[in-house]
Amino acid sequence: MDDFETGLTALLPRLRRFAHGLARDPADADDLTQQTAERALKARDQWQPGTSLAAWTYRIMRNLWIDAGRSRQRRDAVLAPEEWGGTIGVTGEAEGRAELHFLMRAMDRLPDEQREAVALVMIEGLAYAEAAALLEVPVGTLTSRLVRGRQALAAMLGE
Amino acid sequence: MDETRIIAWIDGELSSEEAAEVEAAVAADPGLAALADRHRRIRARFTAAFAPLLDNPVPLPKRKPARVVSLAAVREERAQAAPRPAPRWRGWAWPGAVAASLLVGLMAGHGSGPAGLSDRAGALALSAPMAQALDRQASGDLGTVNVALSFKNHDGQFCRSFVAQYIGGVACKAPGGWQLRYAAPVDAQHGDYRMAGSDPASAKVVATMIAGDPLDAAGERKAIAAGWR
Repeated sequence: MDDFETGLTALLPRLRRFAHGLARDPADADDLTQQTAERALKARDQWQPGTSLAAWTYRIMRNLWIDAGRSRQRRDAVLAPEEWGGTIGVTGEAEGRAELHFLMRAMDRLPDEQREAVALVMIEGLAYAEAAALLEVPVGTLTSRLVRGRQALAAMLGE
Repeated sequence: MDETRIIAWIDGELSSEEAAEVEAAVAADPGLAALADRHRRIRARFTAAFAPLLDNPVPLPKRKPARVVSLAAVREERAQAAPRPAPRWRGWAWPGAVAASLLVGLMAGHGSGPAGLSDRAGALALSAPMAQALDRQASGDLGTVNVALSFKNHDGQFCRSFVAQYIGGVACKAPGGWQLRYAAPVDAQHGDYRMAGSDPASAKVVATMIAGDPLDAAGERKAIAAGWR
């Protein structure tokens, strides 16, 4: 394995977490992770050594997700109430998975531009300036999308 | 003190003076304190739910997608090369004959013997899984074989250049099934499934065999639906 592949391998768990912040369910998230890794390997000549490999691969993932979204049919924003009751009576690891699915469904109800902002800052822990650069928007735009997304999540989660 | 500022405070985006200001405002106002708590809880909840994803290693994809050969480049290269004397027997120039001897050698090396070879001279039938993959996979798909290119040869048969785990080459669909017409061992040592059909030798083979242009995606779908007949 060369340096590029080693670097990419080290980043894959983080990319997979980001994918779970974007995708509608874990299976889609894993597909998105694999597609991103394939694309990164194929386009490795376009990465400039000395720049952030993480930012470059996050951007690849985000663009693949946007492209998929254009052809994907928008689902109803309203979920059936039974879809929201999944966390009752389960414990331990199963509870953790149920919580993850629950939060992914909440994220899925956000508009794409709020969702990517929330995923980058609140899940991936990027600084506002890093997330804004990655999404190629001014910091003010990023901040307002982030705040609107967080307010919507607070309402959905009954917080 | 607005919500944006409180969220920025929770996200660690403020300078120490700004943070101190927000802290003082929140301490003095139960409404702001509740708002700050709410956003802190949400952030903690997301962090906790998504963090376990980092514990599982994710493998790199095993194979790189097939690269599509630029036939134009190969033709250009051929046109510019010095003209070579015509081979005395056309039969010897046909890559299938070369492939046949090469492949028999490969198979003997794997100890599998001549079983599975068709009894037709110069023709090599492919194993069922490889034949099935050649029947069904579109160019660029990842699977049992990676197909780079589909085209018609001068006999009007469909042919596909591909790479599989140990061997790459060109196979054509004859009445009896897929037959190898050119083969080369694949160097999988570095996990790099070099594409037969993108290395210069097999690109030249394709260039000698092809009649017209390679199939596009629509042509390929049609050929898959028709069973490559």
